[in-house]
Amino acid sequence: MHRPRSLAIPLISTTLVGLTVLWAFPEGLGFWRSVAIVSGWAGCGLLVASLLLMIREARLAAWLGGLESMYRWHHRLGVSAYLVLLVHPLALAAAGWAESPALAWAMLAPWQQGWPVWLGWAALLCLMTGLALALSPAMPYARWRGLHNLLALAIVLSLGHLLLLGLDYLLLWSPLLALTFILWRFLRADFGLAAHPYIVARVDHPSAEVVEVRLQPLARPLAARSGQFVLAAFLDGSGFHGCGEYHPYTISGIAPGGEIALDIKALGDCTSHLQAIVPGVAVRIEGPFGDFLGDPPAGPQLWLAGGIGITPFLGVLRSGPLRYPARLVYLHRNDTDAAFRDELAALATAEPRLALHVVACGDRLPDLAAVLPAATALAGHDCYVCGPPGLLTAAVRILQQRGVRPAHIHFEHFDFR
Amino acid sequence: MMHRLFLPGTALFWIAVLVLWAAVRWLPPAVERPPVAAERRLPIDEVARHASPENCWMAIDLAVYDVSRYLPEHPSRSGIVEPWCGKEATEAYRTKMKGRPHSPEADELLARYRIGTLARP
Repeated sequence: MHRPRSLAIPLISTTLVGLTVLWAFPEGLGFWRSVAIVSGWAGCGLLVASLLLMIREARLAAWLGGLESMYRWHHRLGVSAYLVLLVHPLALAAAGWAESPALAWAMLAPWQQGWPVWLGWAALLCLMTGLALALSPAMPYARWRGLHNLLALAIVLSLGHLLLLGLDYLLLWSPLLALTFILWRFLRADFGLAAHPYIVARVDHPSAEVVEVRLQPLARPLAARSGQFVLAAFLDGSGFHGCGEYHPYTISGIAPGGEIALDIKALGDCTSHLQAIVPGVAVRIEGPFGDFLGDPPAGPQLWLAGGIGITPFLGVLRSGPLRYPARLVYLHRNDTDAAFRDELAALATAEPRLALHVVACGDRLPDLAAVLPAATALAGHDCYVCGPPGLLTAAVRILQQRGVRPAHIHFEHFDFR
Repeated sequence: MMHRLFLPGTALFWIAVLVLWAAVRWLPPAVERPPVAAERRLPIDEVARHASPENCWMAIDLAVYDVSRYLPEHPSRSGIVEPWCGKEATEAYRTKMKGRPHSPEADELLARYRIGTLARP
């Protein structure tokens, strides 16, 4: 990631939190009441920054260092906001403690309060429940998405909390901005206003659990290049009913007319259902995102692909001759699982700069120490890794042990929860 | 890293709430202040002379309160409360927003700023 872009998110977040706290900073109040006010507004600023990073726009993502980085910070800032907001009611109670414990408890007890405090409590409990569910990796995706909306409800309730407290209208810019970001996300990304219409033109099955779809644009095509990824929602058509959920897929080929190829492995309910897709199905595409393999530094490259992780490398190979020598190590389980093996062999024959190593691992984890080149053979290489999370972690560790610096190891997690 | 802080942060919050609840339930109540033998009787003209945010008296339910020290802490914006300085503010106090009265906690807080009773004309 480029240094200026990697600093953009921390700088924007600090500005949003700083402005909010500065605007509302109390004067002449007791210590705990000041802590309560500052924690409330700091939490609000952190939430605004977190929600900005939830917006799924290709240009914004490119400017902020990629969708993965945005989502990583979205999580960090969301949890930080929650932790800071937990201090708010406790500090209010602490401010009352000097007078009497009963007054301190009255600050917290909802049955001794009115609508402003009830809404505050409801917002905090929605945030608490929503985050607990959002951080559950085992939950099915569709249910996870639905319950994630509790976090949006928390923002609406907190706006009600502030309005009923009768706060200065100028101070409401922060929660209103948060609400704007939520609406932007719902309308542009989830409702699909920002999506490009495509239609499935051709379907192939390169292996038992992978389907390749070629999508034809129905309007202006995406300005994308192979190796980037898109978020695609497959809808209905020709007797097929798509699940309509947006999932990320790498572009594995682009034709001159704007037709793009996506390869989909059966990894969940939606992607398993897509194995039966037919031509004529309508598709909504958002993106493109990512810069994996986009602007490689001059010099030799090592490409390590695990399973469906072959798609970005396949996309680059399909798009034309290589600029720099590349050694592609493609790991797959068995013969029925080895998608594109024949096509890769043909591409390697036609491309003198490509050295192809196809390794069948069976059902065991691959012995990466044996598969990856020795330290001397890696000198001066940029290494690109794409595959399941376990493969990424192990490969990065071994490459670093063999003297490859982190700046020369490139990968994307592809985890958008 | 931040994900790992969620559970301990939430647990600490609820422990603090429980400790506060237990303290109120089991700690002995604060000693009541002895009643004032004879409260000052303050006419509304006297209240009206304290009509600025720095020197703010209000008459509420036939009692007079000096809320100058509390005013900066009031959660509403200043334009809502300050116009009632130096005035009879019972109705405003009872109908703070959409006709709702203040909470019992607010009543308890207000009592701490009482300086006398309102003398009838």
